[in-house]
Amino acid sequence: MSKPILSVRNLSVSLPKGADRPYAVHNAGFDLHAGEILCIVGESGSGKSVLSSALMGAAPEGLAVTGGQVLLGETDLVPLRESQFRAIRGRDIAMIFQEPMASLNPALTVAAQIEEVFELHSDFDAAERARRARALVESMRLPNPDRILKSYPHQLSGGQCQRVVIAMALAMNPSVLIADEPTTALDVTTQAQVLKLVGELRDLHGHGIVFITHDFGVVADIADRVAVMRHGEIVEIGDAKQVLTAPRHDYTKALIAAVPSLTPHDRPVPADAAPVLTVQHLHHAYGSVSVLKDIELSLPPGRVVSIVGESGCGKSTLAKAMIRLIEAKGGRVEVAGTDILGLSSSDLRSKRRSIQMIFQDPFGSLNPRRRIGPMIARGARLAGASASEARSRTENLLEMVGLQKSAYWRKPGAFSGGQRQRVGVARALAMQPDVLIADESVSALDVSVQAQVLDLLRDLQQRLNLAIVFITHDLRVAAQISDEIVVMQKGEIVERGTAAQVLGAPQHPYTKTLLDAAPGRGTF
Amino acid sequence: MRKAILPYITNPVVVIGAVLSFGWLFVAIFAPLLAPYDPIKTIAPLMQPGAANPAGGIFVLGTDMLGRDILSRLIYGARTVVVFATLATLTAYLVGVTLGLIAGYWRGRVDAVLSYFANVVLSFPVLVLYIVIIVVIGSSPFNIVLAVTFGSAPAIFRIVRGITMDVASRDYVAAAVTQGERAWRIMVFDVLPNATGPLAVDFCLRLGYTAITIGTLGFLGLGLPPPTPDWGTMVNEGRAMAIAFPHLVIFPCIAISSLMLGLSLLADGLREVSDAQGRRT
Amino acid sequence: MAVTLFIIRKFGGAIATMLTVSVLVFLALEVNVADVAVKVLGQFSTADQRTAWLAANGYNDPVVLRYLRWLGAFVTGDWGTSTYYRTEIASLIPGRLAASGILAGGALLVIVPVGLIAGVLAGMKPGSLLDRLVSLVSILTTSIPDFASAVFLSAVFVFWLKWLPGASTMLSGFSLAEIILPVLVLALYSTGYLARVTRASMVDVMGTHYVRTARLKGASPARIVLRHALRNALITPVTVIMLQFPWLLSGVIVVEVFYAYKGFGTLLYDAALNSDIYLVEACAMISVLVVVTTQILSDLAYSWLNPRVSLVDAAMGRS
Repeated sequence: MSKPILSVRNLSVSLPKGADRPYAVHNAGFDLHAGEILCIVGESGSGKSVLSSALMGAAPEGLAVTGGQVLLGETDLVPLRESQFRAIRGRDIAMIFQEPMASLNPALTVAAQIEEVFELHSDFDAAERARRARALVESMRLPNPDRILKSYPHQLSGGQCQRVVIAMALAMNPSVLIADEPTTALDVTTQAQVLKLVGELRDLHGHGIVFITHDFGVVADIADRVAVMRHGEIVEIGDAKQVLTAPRHDYTKALIAAVPSLTPHDRPVPADAAPVLTVQHLHHAYGSVSVLKDIELSLPPGRVVSIVGESGCGKSTLAKAMIRLIEAKGGRVEVAGTDILGLSSSDLRSKRRSIQMIFQDPFGSLNPRRRIGPMIARGARLAGASASEARSRTENLLEMVGLQKSAYWRKPGAFSGGQRQRVGVARALAMQPDVLIADESVSALDVSVQAQVLDLLRDLQQRLNLAIVFITHDLRVAAQISDEIVVMQKGEIVERGTAAQVLGAPQHPYTKTLLDAAPGRGTF
Repeated sequence: MRKAILPYITNPVVVIGAVLSFGWLFVAIFAPLLAPYDPIKTIAPLMQPGAANPAGGIFVLGTDMLGRDILSRLIYGARTVVVFATLATLTAYLVGVTLGLIAGYWRGRVDAVLSYFANVVLSFPVLVLYIVIIVVIGSSPFNIVLAVTFGSAPAIFRIVRGITMDVASRDYVAAAVTQGERAWRIMVFDVLPNATGPLAVDFCLRLGYTAITIGTLGFLGLGLPPPTPDWGTMVNEGRAMAIAFPHLVIFPCIAISSLMLGLSLLADGLREVSDAQGRRT
Repeated sequence: MAVTLFIIRKFGGAIATMLTVSVLVFLALEVNVADVAVKVLGQFSTADQRTAWLAANGYNDPVVLRYLRWLGAFVTGDWGTSTYYRTEIASLIPGRLAASGILAGGALLVIVPVGLIAGVLAGMKPGSLLDRLVSLVSILTTSIPDFASAVFLSAVFVFWLKWLPGASTMLSGFSLAEIILPVLVLALYSTGYLARVTRASMVDVMGTHYVRTARLKGASPARIVLRHALRNALITPVTVIMLQFPWLLSGVIVVEVFYAYKGFGTLLYDAALNSDIYLVEACAMISVLVVVTTQILSDLAYSWLNPRVSLVDAAMGRS
C-alpha cells in the first residue's frame, strides 16, 4: 500500500471547562490515501466537525488541540504557526462546509471569490486567473458559467453555491479535501448530483477526501473507508463495505440498525372506514405564485399518510393550510364532519381540538419560559377538561410518551431534542385530537433518536386510532411510518398510493427521480 | 433561581452599573436623611466647595447664587430624576409594549396604521418634539411626563413590534394558536416572557435617556418649574456665572452623567450576560 | 425603472409623512384661535384688538380652510413673520440653517472617521485590550448628556487651560477657535455611538461562515478584514451615520444655546421661549424635512452597499 497523504495520530482537542466532557476529540487517528474518500460518521455532538476543523488548524474558539499529530505528507500541521499554516490552507488542504450560501461572501462576485485563491497561492496574471476560474466553474457542470461568474451568491441556488465552494476548494488542486456535511443542507436530488460530482472529481484528480456526515445513506454511496465517531472517539474504522455490512462495534451496529429502510414495512393497510379528514380543492398562492394546486386528500381514522417532496414543493404550506396557521385561498378541509376553513375565527377556536400538530424543530416548538406540565395541561384545559382532569391527563401523557412524572415542573431547557419532541407529542395529544399533523417532526433528530420517536408515534397512533398526516422530505421515514404515500411537486400531488405501491412500483417520473436520489439506496 | 442570578452578580460590568444606578435610587429614597440642609432654603450665597457655614458645618459642594446648599439640592434632585424619569419611562413602556404587541402579533392593517404614526412621531428630532409639545401644553411635572411618554413610546413600540414578530413566528406560538389559545394570552404568556431580555436592556438605557431628556429640558429652562431641585435646572441657573464659579454647574453634570453611566453599564452587562447564555444553549 | 420606483415610493412616503406632520403641527399650534391671538399680539393686547386681528387674518374661517391656506402659503415659501425677530421667517431660516450646517458638518468630520476606525479596530479582535478601551470610552461618551459634556469640556479648555473661548457668538465674523468646542461637544455622543455600532457589526461579520472560508482559503488577517469583512461590516454603520442627523439636530439646540451660537437651534429655542408660533412651526417643519431626507439617503446608502438589497427592495421596505 502507498504512503498516506494525510495521517492523523492521537489527535486530541480539549473542550473549555464546564463542558459535559473534557475532550471534543480524544486520541483520534486515521490515514487517508490519495484518491480515497474516508467518511467520518457520527451523531450530533460526536466531535466529527471539531475534528475536521482541527485538521485545518481552525478549531472553534475556546477549543484547543492538546496533543497528537496531523501529518500532511511529511509536515506535521499541529505545531505550525498561523502564518505558516496560511500558505498551506487552500493550496495543499482545502475545506467545504455545510452552509454553502453562508460560506460565500455576499458582497463579492463568484469570480472574485474563486480568483482570490489564485491571488493568494499563485503568481498567475489577471487574465490567467479569470481563465482558470472560468474553467473551474465549467468543470463543476454549472450552467451558463459566464453568468455564474458575474453573480453574487444570493443570486444562485444552494446547489449552485455548493458547486462554487467546491470549485474554490479545488482551485489549487489540493491533495486533501475536507468536506463537512457538504450536502446536508441540500435537497435530495441536488445532493445526489453533488455527491456524483465529488466522486468524479476525485476520480479525475486523485484528491484524498475526508467526508464528514451523519447520514449512513451518503456513506454507503460515497465512502471507500468509514470511521465511526462517538463522544469524541473513533470507535470503529475500516473498509466501507465491512463497516456497513458487518460492523464490529456495538455502537456502529446500533446506528446502522436505526437507519430506516427504504423497503416499506409490511403491516397490512387498515380497512377502509369513513374518512375523518377530507381535503377538497385546497389551493393557495403567494401573490401570483401558486403554491398549492387543487389538493385532494381523504384519510380514515387509524391511518397514516405521508406527504413527501423536496423543499418548496408545498408540503409544509399544505400542513399549515389544513390547520389554518395560514389562510388558504380556497377549498375545504373537513375534520370529523366540520369544514375547518369555513369557520369564523371564534368558532374555529373551539373546533381546534380535533386537529393538532407536531412541529419540526424540537428547540423552537416549546416555549423556553414555560414548564412542561402546565404547558401540556393547558391544552387539555382548552379542550374542555377540568383542572384536575387536565393534571392527571398530563401525567398519563408524560408516561405514555416515555417521560418521567418529574418532568412536570421542568422547563424545556432541561431536555434533549428527542425528549422535547416527546413533549411536543404529549402537548398535541392532550387535546385528544382526531387528526394529527406531523411536520418534519423527526428530521432534526439523530438517527437513533429518530427511530425511537417514530416507534412512539406508530404505537400511539395504533392505541388511539389516530389519523396522522406525516410531512417529510425523507423517503426512508415515509417508508417506515406510512400506510399511504402522497408525492408532491411544485404544489401538486403527482402520485399517491399505498406505501408499497409508491415505493415499490413508482409511476410518476418525479417519484422515480426521488427514489433514485435517495442516498444509500442499494445498501439499506 | 440562584443559578439564574449568579452570572449577573459575578459580571463586573453589571455590578458597577448596578452600584451606580441603585446608589442614586438609595440617595433618592433617603434624601431627607442624607441631605445636610434644606434644598430650597437660602443660607449663604456663592460659597465655594468646602467653605464653612457661618452657622456651623461646611458646604461640601458649595452653595448657589441664591445661597442654597448644592449637595442638598443634588441629593433632592436625585428624587426628582428618579420619580419623574421612572414614571415617564413606565408610562411610555405601558403604551409602547401594548401597541407593539398588538401590531407585531396581528400585523396587517393595525400594524400599518400604528407603524405609520410611530414613524411620523419618530421623524421629529426628539428635542424639537419636546420643545413643540412644551410650547403647546406648557411646562409642568405632568406635562413633562406626558411629553416624554409621547416621544419615547414610538421607539419602544418599534422594538416590541420587532421582537413580537420574531417570537410570533416561533413554533411554540403556532402550537398555542392551533390549540385555540386566545390572542391576548399568547401575547402575555408566550411572547412577552421571551422578550424580557432585550426589553430589560432597553429599559435601562431608556430610563437614562429619559433622565437626560428631563435634565436637558431643565437646562433649556423648559423643565420642571422652580424651586424644584432638578439637575438640569441647576446647570441652567448656574450657567451665567460658571466661568467664575464652575462648581455651580460641574457637580450636577457629574451627577447626571454618573447616573446615565450606571444605567448604560447595567444595560451593557445585562446584554453581555444574556448573549453569553444564549451562546451556551 | 428601479430608480423610478424607489423615488416614487420613497418620495411619496416622505410627502405623506410631511403632510401628516404639518397637520399635527398646525393642529397643535393653531387650533386654539384665542391662544394664537395672545401669542401673536402679546399678553397686554386688549380683547378688542385680538378680535379685530383674528377677523382680519381669516381666523374665523373653518379650521380645514385655514389649514389648507396655511399649507399653501407654507409650500410656496410664505412662512409668515416672526413676532420675536420682526422679520420674514423665510429670510431668517437659510442663514441659521447654514450656520448649524457648519456645526453638524464639523461634527461629522470627527464622528465618521473616528467612530468607524475605532469600531473596526475594536471589532476585529473582540476581547482585546484595544476593544476594551474603545468600549469603555464609547460607553463613557454615550453616557454624558450634551449639556454636561459642554460643561466638562469648557471647564477644561476654557476655565482651566484657557485655550478656547467659552462662547461662540461669532460677533466679529467666523472664528475657528470659537467653533471647536461646539463641534467637539456635538461629536462626542455620536462618535461613541457609531464606534459601538461599528464594533458590534464587525464582531458579527468576523464570526460569519464566509470569513471562516476566507481564512481557510489562506487569506491573511489584513486581507480578511480589508477585503472580506469591511464592506459587509460597514453596511449598518453607514446607515447609522445618516440616521444621526436627527440626533445632531437635537444636540445642535443644546450646544448652540450653551455657546450662544447663532444657528438653527437657537432660532427654535428663542421661538419656543417667546411663543413665536409661526417660527416654531417653520422650524419644526424644517427639522422633519431634514430627518425625512436623511432617511431616504440612508436607504440609498444601504442598497448601494448591500448587493443583496436592490433599490426595488429598499423602495418596498424589504431588507
